[in-house]
Amino acid sequence: MIFNSFDFFVFLPIVFCAYWFILKKHLKSQNVLLLIASYVFYGWWDWRFLSLIMLSTVVDYFVGLQIFKNEDAKIRKRWLRISVLFNLGLLGFFKYFNFFIDSWVDAFNSIGYQMDYYSLNIILPVGISFYTFQTMSYSLDISKRKLEPTKDFIAFATFVAFFPQLVAGPIERASNLLPQFFKKRKFDYNTAVDGARQMLWGLFKKIVIADNCAPYVNDIFQNYSDYSSGTLILGVVVFAFQIYADFSGYTDIAIGVAKLFGFNFKRNFNYPYFSTNISDFWKRWHISLSSWLNDYVFTPLAIEYRDYKKYGIFLALFLTFLISGLWHGAGWNYIVWGGLHGLFYIPVIFSKKRFSSISSNKINSKNKSTLRDFPKMVLTFAMVCFTYIFFRAINLTEAINLNKAIINGLITNNIFDIKIPDIRIVLFIPCLILIEWLQREKAYGLDLQKVNSTVLRWVIYFILISVIIIFGAKAQSFIYFQF
Amino acid sequence: MQEYLDELNLLFREVFENEDITLTPETVASDIDEWDSINHIYLVVEIEKHFNIKFTSSQILEWKNVGEIVNSIQEKR
Repeated sequence: MIFNSFDFFVFLPIVFCAYWFILKKHLKSQNVLLLIASYVFYGWWDWRFLSLIMLSTVVDYFVGLQIFKNEDAKIRKRWLRISVLFNLGLLGFFKYFNFFIDSWVDAFNSIGYQMDYYSLNIILPVGISFYTFQTMSYSLDISKRKLEPTKDFIAFATFVAFFPQLVAGPIERASNLLPQFFKKRKFDYNTAVDGARQMLWGLFKKIVIADNCAPYVNDIFQNYSDYSSGTLILGVVVFAFQIYADFSGYTDIAIGVAKLFGFNFKRNFNYPYFSTNISDFWKRWHISLSSWLNDYVFTPLAIEYRDYKKYGIFLALFLTFLISGLWHGAGWNYIVWGGLHGLFYIPVIFSKKRFSSISSNKINSKNKSTLRDFPKMVLTFAMVCFTYIFFRAINLTEAINLNKAIINGLITNNIFDIKIPDIRIVLFIPCLILIEWLQREKAYGLDLQKVNSTVLRWVIYFILISVIIIFGAKAQSFIYFQF
Repeated sequence: MQEYLDELNLLFREVFENEDITLTPETVASDIDEWDSINHIYLVVEIEKHFNIKFTSSQILEWKNVGEIVNSIQEKR
């Protein structure tokens, strides 16, 4: 089931009513309901792959208890290895099997050795990259003694499969989400309204911005040889807004739905395109993934390499970004995308000002950026856009060709013959930028908790809903479902 | 404990170039603006140099707050 579908808008009210009206005093029954609802939500897409989620749940539930029970470091490590191998094995088989076979065969072919081979026809189970990371972090945290395992299997299974965040995050940590399954829930009108508002904002970003950008971007990336450099560059910029609106829109809906049930997810986006350097960007874009990679990949590596000072930190960062690239997709273009982000950190790490430049913005600190930071924001945005060429192209060869096409056009001065985007793109992207700039210290773009006038709030809702109905594009799936 | 905490406080101020930092055993990374994951590594290196000790990797990864850093230092001294 996807959030922007009719099915979901029937499903949600049913679960909501059963949760708050029928089971309002029974915490355990509420959890059971959420678990069943989550499995229905996932099974709607393909019930066969539910078994993978259940398997991953059982493994980590059991491993968590075993790690906690044992004091012997060797035994703890052995149990942890089971969790990591199992989850990465699942991910490896379903996501990377063909990629490794193909790359292997290509390597042999390139040295003149012809190999016959069959690659399997494997379907990627939706959300597998997200929930395997979530369950793995549970066992990792227990092994680092930062978390105690739960004995409540239902609560744990719901934590793994909770439908608002099952298929594309935010990748929640047990330390934040799990305790919420044990806390008595009281319906809070303001929280529910806030959740509905955040869903509305997410739908606007998804349906009005992302889905209207999609045809324009698809056409340019498919037929890039027909277009001028100017159009190609514009296509990449429009893609930047498409993917942001798509993914952060999805996240807003997920966080909003969770609020309807009295749950609080961690923030996943913090106006990333207002970042003033690349390190700042990664503290504000897909925060739940970057903090996951930070805690379980970067930090252990950097600690291991710490005696090599800045070189060690760079190496750890670079490897982390390669892994991040591979996480996004089984393709060399994603690995190059990650590698480029890693390279962009060179000036940040090796600049003379050792500390102050890196740490201007923490995840939760207020966005104090002013218009004076504008040049830095544009530069950071341009760097991110450049990497999107690799991210959006279907493979590395296409990405390189697209780069060549842009450079050739610049040399032959073929820049100004620009394919004008749809009026809805021209109109609503600047609206998005303006609204987010004005709201940049708030939790999300439509956060109106400080607006006291009821009339004004309803006028804003009315306008937004009208815009969605009038200018919304035909529903499309979310980009991040493929990862 | 207090003695090491005071010493650590001076080191934090020096490393993060911020004279306003006042540590308690309960201080965590999110309390200090400059304390992000990259600076954390520099910090570990500086602590090891200052106290002339070497932590194990798992020790470092298990720290939850400043109090636990102090405990690790005491253990190693």
